[in-house]
Amino acid sequence: MNAFTIEKKNIHFLFDQFRKDYKIYGPTKPGYESTFEEITSIDQLHLDYHSTVLPPKKIFHPPHEQLFTFLKEKETYTTKEIFLEEKTLLFGIHPCDVHALLKLDKFFSGEFTDIYYLKRRKNTCIVALNCVEPSKYSFCYSLGTGPFLEEGYDILLTDIGTEYLIEIGSDEGKKLLEKTTVEKVTDADFHEKERRQKLTELKFKKHMNTQWLPQIVSESLNHSVWSDLGERGGIAGSHACLSCGSCSLVCPTCYCYDVYDTVDITLQKGIRARELDSCQLLEYAEVAMHGNFRSDRTARIRHWMLCKFGAAAGGHNSGCVGCGRCIRVCPSKIDITQVARILRGE
Amino acid sequence: MKNEYMAYPAVVKKILKESSNTNTYTLAFVNEEKQKNFKALPGQFMMIGIFGIGEAALSICKIDEDGSFSTTVRNVGNVTNTIYQLKEGDKLNMRGPYGTGWPLEELKGKDILIVAGGIGLPPLRGIIDLVQKNRKNYGHLEIIYGARTPEDMVFKYEFGAWRQIKNSRFDLTVDTVSLGSKWECKIGLVTSCFPQMKTRNKNSIALLCGPEIMMRFAAKCLETIGFKDNQIYVSLERRMKCGFGKCGHCQIGPKYVCKDGPVFSYDEIRPYIHPL
Ligand SMILES: Cc1cc2nc3c(=O)[nH]c(=O)nc-3n(C[C@H](O)[C@H](O)[C@H](O)COP(=O)(O)OP(=O)(O)OC[C@H]3O[C@@H](n4cnc5c(N)ncnc54)[C@H](O)[C@@H]3O)c2cc1C
Ligand code: FES
Repeated sequence: MNAFTIEKKNIHFLFDQFRKDYKIYGPTKPGYESTFEEITSIDQLHLDYHSTVLPPKKIFHPPHEQLFTFLKEKETYTTKEIFLEEKTLLFGIHPCDVHALLKLDKFFSGEFTDIYYLKRRKNTCIVALNCVEPSKYSFCYSLGTGPFLEEGYDILLTDIGTEYLIEIGSDEGKKLLEKTTVEKVTDADFHEKERRQKLTELKFKKHMNTQWLPQIVSESLNHSVWSDLGERGGIAGSHACLSCGSCSLVCPTCYCYDVYDTVDITLQKGIRARELDSCQLLEYAEVAMHGNFRSDRTARIRHWMLCKFGAAAGGHNSGCVGCGRCIRVCPSKIDITQVARILRGE
Repeated sequence: MKNEYMAYPAVVKKILKESSNTNTYTLAFVNEEKQKNFKALPGQFMMIGIFGIGEAALSICKIDEDGSFSTTVRNVGNVTNTIYQLKEGDKLNMRGPYGTGWPLEELKGKDILIVAGGIGLPPLRGIIDLVQKNRKNYGHLEIIYGARTPEDMVFKYEFGAWRQIKNSRFDLTVDTVSLGSKWECKIGLVTSCFPQMKTRNKNSIALLCGPEIMMRFAAKCLETIGFKDNQIYVSLERRMKCGFGKCGHCQIGPKYVCKDGPVFSYDEIRPYIHPL
């Protein structure tokens, strides 16, 4: 059996089971905004959410992370790696955010691997939640990254009224459900899922045509939209980019980071750490002797858009998943879907 | 899984003074096993640093028989300044090598033109060494090297030997000469050496390294004498934090300079050099 149902009021059965083996992160709403936080009791969990301020990326690729410590003894340094070996479970992550993780998985593996990200990912169980109420900013449907999920989950939940439909995506997910009280699934439950999917797909306010988009943007390096965005006062409805970097901070596929050392007062020991960085910030491409390869905002916003359209060095692995967070937080109201339309000449 | 971020202790075996702000350091990993397995190609680079200060991308300029290598460092900021203070026998930490290096296979049997500006010569020195050692595998060798002043030139102690390389030409130029200093070569930009250049576009490869503006002008001049973009290779510089395609800083268009470069064929990178 690969599917079950559970009454919404019984969702704590799942939660209690998961808690035995995992530290649980899920959407919660401490104030006005939803956010992904550690959940220690079921009443903190707020599954009816549109989107969170920061994507769950923050759990795998944290805004600040210590890599290793170093200690100087007799003119030689010894180092010690810092790994957090913790089993975590993401409860209620939306399809767009799952797709972002799948992209980052590919990005952080390959010829060179990022041991810090990959270790955490390996220790993580994904309990995804299909999205039935997309936010007014999201456009995952256009990118095939939502609103319903096809891959990348251990367990998948769908709101089908008074119950959740539970689908199993992996052995780990199967094992987790073996000891939980869940109900049998009927054909009607699957029909209800399908009906809700179709209904949700009609709810999107934003769309982005991605066909040939990486090629189009690569061939539009001198398009006037870049200087409009960077210097001249934006495009219809938006102001010029302020280079604040909010878009990369909230983007679930922005991976860039800076590396730096801190030492303690003895100067004999310290920590090498990394911190999320943004190509929108002036210092990002700065080199010694006051060189800067992207000193103007036009070049910076162009690079970010290039990256999100899949045409920068990260390719598809750092491309947009349509979560809409950047549109929501941009103080200049820059809308990536509108930039795409302008580039396409629409 | 390997921790790519880990830097390993290395010892400064030798320091050679090059100019008022530049030294060449011969380095080797402390761990013998690690040193024995160390292999690098001309044009590749290392991430070299001091814990507590940071890391800098530094090109490998010479690889010795025993596997130790040299890097020429110009003192321009935090990390390079700390390296500059080191003495022989001191330790630092490093990881690498990274990057693609010069197209060695492509060079075989061809005439080679080297155009270097300032601190751009060290990454190309491995090629000069290679030609010197295996003279008959390559055609004519021409080196054009420019620096700000005669004092800023690196590897001056090699110039004599380089002039002796059979079937070669070596041309030097500087931007300015201070009053009283001895200078018998040209004064002017690197490109001012081009009219006397012997290398022709047929069966030849040009390797460029230096400030980007210099490389762009040099490439433009080469094109006027018939060089195709795929006969020109450039070594680029960008801000680097990881060295292996993860931190994002070195991006130029769809490429990571650290992983896909730093050496690029000019036809591959040209569209991105100026606008991005
Ligand atoms: C592939 C490659 C090969 C290089 N080879 C050499 C060489 O052989 N000899 C040499 O003297 N220099 C070389 N450089 C330049 C050298 O990396 C910088 O001069 C050095 O990083 C400056 O660091 P700093 O801490 O001393 O300067 P600061 O100005 O104090 O640096 C501050 C920060 O900016 C970063 N940064 C600054 N300038 C550069 C830069 N140009 N490139 C990358 N990151 C930078 C550093 O990582 C550092 O974190 C090379 C650069 C690259 C990319
Ligand atoms: S230096 Fe980090 S991506 Fe190239």
